[in-house]
Formats: sequence, structure tokens, C-alpha cells
Amino acid sequence: MTELSLDRNRYLEAKALWVRRKTLEMAVVANAGHLGGAFSCTDILVALYYGGVLRFDPHNPHWDGRDRFILSKGHAGLALYPILADLGFFPISELESFASKIGINPDINNIPGVEVNTGSLGQGFGVGAGLSLSGKIDRKDFCTVVLLGDGECYEGSVWETALFAAHHKLKLVAIIDYNGLSATDFTKNIIRQEPFENKWKAFGWNTVSINGHSFAEILRVLKDIHDPKSNKPLAVVAYTIKGKGVSFMENKISWHHGVPRGDELEVARRELTS
Amino acid sequence: MKQNEFRDVVFGEIYRIATEDDRVMVLTADMGATELDKFKESFKERYINVGIAEQSGMSIAAGLALGGKIVFIYGIIPFITLRCFEQIKVNLCSMKLPVTIIGIGAGFAYSVDGPTHHAIEDIAIMRALPEMTIFNPSDPVSLKHITKIAYATPGPKYIRLAKGSYPSIYEAEHDFSLGLAVQRKGDDVTIISTGTLVHKALVVSDELAKRSVSSSVVDLYRIKPINDRLLLRIIEGSKLVVTLEDHSIIGGIGSVISEVLADNYTSVPLKRIGINDQYSFRYGNTEWLHFLHGLDVNNVTKVICEKLREL
Repeated sequence: MTELSLDRNRYLEAKALWVRRKTLEMAVVANAGHLGGAFSCTDILVALYYGGVLRFDPHNPHWDGRDRFILSKGHAGLALYPILADLGFFPISELESFASKIGINPDINNIPGVEVNTGSLGQGFGVGAGLSLSGKIDRKDFCTVVLLGDGECYEGSVWETALFAAHHKLKLVAIIDYNGLSATDFTKNIIRQEPFENKWKAFGWNTVSINGHSFAEILRVLKDIHDPKSNKPLAVVAYTIKGKGVSFMENKISWHHGVPRGDELEVARRELTS
Repeated sequence: MKQNEFRDVVFGEIYRIATEDDRVMVLTADMGATELDKFKESFKERYINVGIAEQSGMSIAAGLALGGKIVFIYGIIPFITLRCFEQIKVNLCSMKLPVTIIGIGAGFAYSVDGPTHHAIEDIAIMRALPEMTIFNPSDPVSLKHITKIAYATPGPKYIRLAKGSYPSIYEAEHDFSLGLAVQRKGDDVTIISTGTLVHKALVVSDELAKRSVSSSVVDLYRIKPINDRLLLRIIEGSKLVVTLEDHSIIGGIGSVISEVLADNYTSVPLKRIGINDQYSFRYGNTEWLHFLHGLDVNNVTKVICEKLREL
């Protein structure tokens, strides 16, 4: 670990463990959710919100100077809500209203801190490009960060947006949660995406590949997003493990959907306990 | 610029609005217009050509609107509505964003380009979207006012444009807040039309008069939300209601009117005249395609007279 102190790393790991446990409990109560894809991007979300990357004010969610974060892979919303609640965007007790007031996909009407309605893949990225362009025109210095799934990158509109963002030199960061699994199979078996990072490079983006579960790596590549050294947008290919944190879910296609019950639930709870 | 060319009327008005409101932006899916060139030259940063990429274009429009912009996005109807329908649903309608879609090429306006470019399903699908307001102007005056109304109305809007030039049928200061207007008042038949087919409805009305049939002509320039109360008052007493549109018979204004009648337990004979449930692979100008699909003045007049005789 080069730039991250041991204490800081422990703090982020503890937060990630708590978020995964909350995510699990929300899914159990509602009997719904996409745990695999939520757990694969939990560390990225924790780094963004607790690692000093994003600028935000929980008491003023619409603060003009905030960074715009968009969870384009909206089905991972269960990993985002505990973070927003913990930071004070809304009371933690409201997490219990999951599947009544709060749904699987981010919703600007009901969840303070959510910027864009997402859930239909590919679209949050385009909205992020528009938001970023509005900031550029108005000479604002906020940064727009979009988290996409690798399966989401099958959507053609993702690549339309990638072209657009590079052409307009947008202050835009795309983080791709590359867990290698889509809903029904490994992406390498569905339609091969490699060489993935090179595709973004060819579209005119700065690119970097990292371990999406290493806080040190995530924070290292995102530390300059407000003061980028280049006028190209940045694509971060974050290699992750679907279902990360629960042994029987890790890298298993069957845990795209699904909620553990019985013994499995107890194992999951045990593994997500500090 | 041709006098009264629809696309120049709309972009001329947007230009005027943009001089007073620097939030106004125009996005185009690689479509031009003389007045749009003027906008581009005057407001370089506020003109964005998103390329032939309507899906990301619509999402980008939404992002700009979330960032405080008032956005107009322009393209050929099938591509700027059907192609990116889901982006319109999720990004504009579900978030109620102030984006106005300007679609050009109503009905068979892109006649020789064939079914890829014909717009005969757009009203049906766009009116199914919650929050969406739909305008279909008939003349340059209504178009100019509707552009102003769209700018001032919150939420997503769709303006369905004809191609080319049409004469004015309204006085310059007509009030377009009601959603529809009685262009002609008569007793026997009420012909409800929309967009530039209103001009045809007026000629049909003349033809009916020669056959001693007295007709009203209603211009339904706002298709959604529909002003059903005013509409019901207007058709009261008519022996027959006819809808005339350059859109599929499924889901267009014929369907709108039938829903209004049914929902209000109003029993009056209704004849829907539009494009039958088929694609047109025959080529020629728009009038020729109208003729082939029974939308010419002679056929419409004949159908109305036949229906009246059946009553």
C-alpha cells in the first residue's frame, strides 16, 4: 500500500463490510435485489463516498458545487442506499422501507442524493455526459462520475456517449465494474468484450485498469478528477468479483438475482460480520 | 429561407427565445435548417450536433436539462421518437425534464424515402408516455405560438412537424392555450383533424357544402393533454364525427376521440379516417401517397357522404 494509510484502509474496509451487510439485510426483508452486482461495486462506491473523491453535502443534496454521481448500473442500488443513509442524506431507519418507498433502482423522487433515475442500462451514462456538458458550458468545476457494469457496455448507446464525451472533452469519469458476468453467463461466453480497455482508448478516452476491490488503487486513479492533467474523459476499468464478500456468491452466475435463505443466509451474515 | 417553411418557423422562434434566455439549447441529430444555422452561428456553445445518434442524444438532452438547460432536440420523426423511445420514457418523462422534441416529417412527408422515414406510429406511442405533451401544428402561426408554449411549459413536449411550407389559417394573435380550435362551424358533421391535414379538412368541408352538407372543422393542435370538455361541447348535436389524420388508424387522433367519447358515455357515430394498418412501399409525392391511402379530398368527401347516408 503506497498512498493509503493502514488506518484509512481499515476504515474503508469496515465501511464496505457494513454496507454489504446492510445490502444483504435489505434484500432479505424485501425478498428482492441483485446482490451479485451490488457486492461487486460496493468497494468502488465506498471509495467514492468515504474516500474523499466525491464532493457532496448530505444536508443540501442539491448544492450546486456537488459532484454528480450516477449509478448507471441501477440494479446495484442496494449498495448505494446504505451509503447515502449513513452519510446523512436520509435517516438510516428509512432503509427498512426498501421495496415500499425505496425500490431496487435509483429514483430521484424518493431517494435524496440520487441524481438520475436509472435502471435501464446505458442511459445513465448519456445523462452523465449531458450533465457534464452543462457544467462545462456554465464554467462550473464539478465532476461527473458514472458507474457502469461490464454487461451494460453491450448497449450501443454507451459507445455513442463515449464518442460524444471524448469529442467534447468532457470532465467525465466512467468507472466500469468489470465483474465478467452478465445476467445469464460470463461475458466472455456471451459476446467477448476484450480488449476492453483498448476500446475506450480507441474512443479517445484516457484509460486505466485497476483492481476494483483495492481502495488504494481506486483512490490513486481518482485523486485528480477535479484537476485532470488531460482534457480527455477518464475510463477506469475496475476488475471486480461478482458477489464479492460472500464466499458462495463469488463469481457465481446464480447470484445475479436471488436472496439467500436458511443456512446460506446464516453463512452470508457470518461472513459479513466484523 | 422559404416563406413559412415549418422548420424555419420553429427555429426562428427558438432563436428569438434564445436571445432572451441563455439557458436555451438546441441539439440536432445531424439535421439542419436555415434558421438553425443562424442559431448555430449566434450561440456556438448552445448548439450541439449529437450526430446520427438519437439514443445518446436524448440522454444528453436530459442531462443538460438536469443541469438547468431548456433543451430543444431535433430529428426526423421515426428516429427522434421510435429509435430513442425508451430514452424519452426514462430520461425525459420519468424525470419530468424540460426537453422539447421537434420531430420533422409527419405522416408521409418523407414520401419517396419510404416506410423507414414515414411517421405513422409516433402519435400512438408518444401519447402512451405519462408526462408527455404532444403538439401537432397546422400552420406557421400555430407553430410559432406552440414553440413559445413548449418553451414555457414544464416537462417533456413533442412537436410533430410537417415538412415544407403551408399558408396561415390563424390570425397572428390567436389564443392557443385551449388545445384545439374550431376553424369552421357547421351542423351536420364535425371533422376533427390535426397538423397540416387540417388544410385538407377545410377543402373537404368546402366540397361537402357543395353537396348541402354543413360541417365543422376542428384543428386538434394539442393531442395530449386533450381538452375533452371543449371537444364534447363542440361535437354536441353533430350527426357524425369524423377524424382525419396522416397517422395510423391505430392509436392516432381517431383513437383519442373514440376514447373521449367512450369515457364520457357519449354516443355519436364516429368515422376514423387515417392510414390503414400497413406500410407504404409505393413511391411518389405526399399527395400521391395520400391518394393511394384514401386521404385525398375526393375520397374523404365521398366516405363522409356515404356515412351520412347510412345514418
